[in-house]
Amino acid sequence: MDLVNIFIKGVFIDNMIFAYFLGMCSYLAVSKTVTTANGLGLAVIFVLGITVPVNYILENKVLKAGALQWLGENFVSVDLNVLSLIMFIAVVSAMVQLVEMIIERFSPALYSSLGIFLPLIAVNCAILGGALFMQERQYSTIIEATSFALGSGVGWYLAIVAIAAIREKIRYSNVPPALRGLGITYIITGLMGIAFMCFMGIKI
Amino acid sequence: MKLMRNILDRIKPHFEENGTLHKLYPAYDAFETFLFVPNHTTSSGTHIKDSVDLKRTMVIVIIALIPCLIFGMWNTGYQYFSQLTPDMNGYKDSYTLFDSFIYGFWKFIPLIIVSYAVGLAVEFAFAVNRKHQVNEGYLVSGMLIPLTMPIDVPLWMLALSVIFAVVVGKEVFGGTGMNILNPALTARAFIFFAYPTKMSGDKVWVSSAESIDGITGETALGQLASMVDINPTSQNIINKFGQFSSDGVYSLYNSFMGFVPGSVGETSVIAILIGAAILIFTGIGSVRIIFSMFIGGLLMSYIFNIFAPESNLFMSLNPFHQLCIGSFMFGMVFMATDPVSAAQTNTGKVVYGFLCGVLSILIRVFNPAYPEGVMVAILFMNVMAPLIDHYVIEANINRRKKRLQMKLLKS
Repeated sequence: MDLVNIFIKGVFIDNMIFAYFLGMCSYLAVSKTVTTANGLGLAVIFVLGITVPVNYILENKVLKAGALQWLGENFVSVDLNVLSLIMFIAVVSAMVQLVEMIIERFSPALYSSLGIFLPLIAVNCAILGGALFMQERQYSTIIEATSFALGSGVGWYLAIVAIAAIREKIRYSNVPPALRGLGITYIITGLMGIAFMCFMGIKI
Repeated sequence: MKLMRNILDRIKPHFEENGTLHKLYPAYDAFETFLFVPNHTTSSGTHIKDSVDLKRTMVIVIIALIPCLIFGMWNTGYQYFSQLTPDMNGYKDSYTLFDSFIYGFWKFIPLIIVSYAVGLAVEFAFAVNRKHQVNEGYLVSGMLIPLTMPIDVPLWMLALSVIFAVVVGKEVFGGTGMNILNPALTARAFIFFAYPTKMSGDKVWVSSAESIDGITGETALGQLASMVDINPTSQNIINKFGQFSSDGVYSLYNSFMGFVPGSVGETSVIAILIGAAILIFTGIGSVRIIFSMFIGGLLMSYIFNIFAPESNLFMSLNPFHQLCIGSFMFGMVFMATDPVSAAQTNTGKVVYGFLCGVLSILIRVFNPAYPEGVMVAILFMNVMAPLIDHYVIEANINRRKKRLQMKLLKS
């Protein structure tokens, strides 16, 4: 498969939000203004771009059936797949912590603009979803997995900045009181899902 | 006119604060302002002085739709009669222009009635409950929705999609001018995804096609989509290629004039162009959106032309022909220019229109599931329009800040 194809697929066709409804909690909570949505979106791209390749290595060198062959002939029959969920979560939270510390040390400006979003991402299911999709789809090289991760991240970013812009716009709308806030956001998400359906079924 | 004014003035007290029919005041108000320009003035906020208010704007769009409407009615009858074999009721050669029009008229009127009745009933219910005025916006949506439907769409499906569009697409946001998606497109998308069998294929575009055997009522796009990935030397495909040459069913001339099957309003490019002229001349449709969308579509078709493999007629079709088939033109003139859901800034409009055009052709060619993807593409751009606006405004602010800084530095 072509790298560009994987990337485009991740952005539009297999969009994390509208095709799989992953990462909805931060998507709904942090989309009030475009500026904050922008920050969170960039952080998601960043973290997905780091954790998926790391998980890819983990998956292929440790967890997969027979992946431990490099330790010796005795380990060929070992299958650690049962641990993959726990391992992925551990890697995601460890990586997020690490990234946070590194950014804080070397780029305080970026750190303060990302602020609370980095720790928030540790519990964003789009990140774990990225790792699990990578496992399920069995990308053949680490570069393909990274391309998929960046594509999913960009798709998520696009979705959250689009809904943030819409929410800024409908601040002047006369929404029924019962629907104000999260209610109307759910409806907008549904309508955006309909609009994103134009990409479903495209084969590239 | 004087008589109407007098009648309205006489019954007005019943609808006012203490009148017996106060609950129905929105209905009275809608009717009165429909007939007469209201005489109340803005009490706060921005004042705009213009003789054309929202209702007048909507009526002009309706006028611009009339050529499409009349041609669509005639074409419905024309497609029906030209599919009948001569020995069936003795038609085929003996039907006249007028016969076609009358047939289409009786087919199409129920759609309009259902669309308006259901849509306005929902609007009235919301207006009475939420105590706002009845929104004028539905005058146009109610006409656009049946024009984008296949002629034989079941009336209950139409009613359902109208309710969905008005309630979820518009009223939950507070009514006309506050929605994010074009209600007509929302209705079309809803019915398209909910009942795909009634909205695509070769049996829905010609009236009563299901009851006539051996009919070929597919739209040009349906034909093209069915040709992808098939051996280009087979006789079947060669026949289909022929349909797009200058003497075929889907020739450029036929597509331009509109003598092809399709949903009611979309077939005739010439009728749509008349409507476009009216919209542009009165300043109601945005010239920026129309032209940039046209250029976007054209450019994308040219790019496909360059990269097209020989067997893929869909990609190698002449760009102007590509734009004339399907609902590209109709979407460009009447859907993308919706002032509410399109981008609001001038630069934003150009970007929005251009992306609409590019995306429409992209989806049409690449997505075999939705060859009629123009409407969904515009819907997608509706979603993205606020974001485009946001960045245009942001860029504007930054430019001015920079200018101010330069000025401060100089002084």
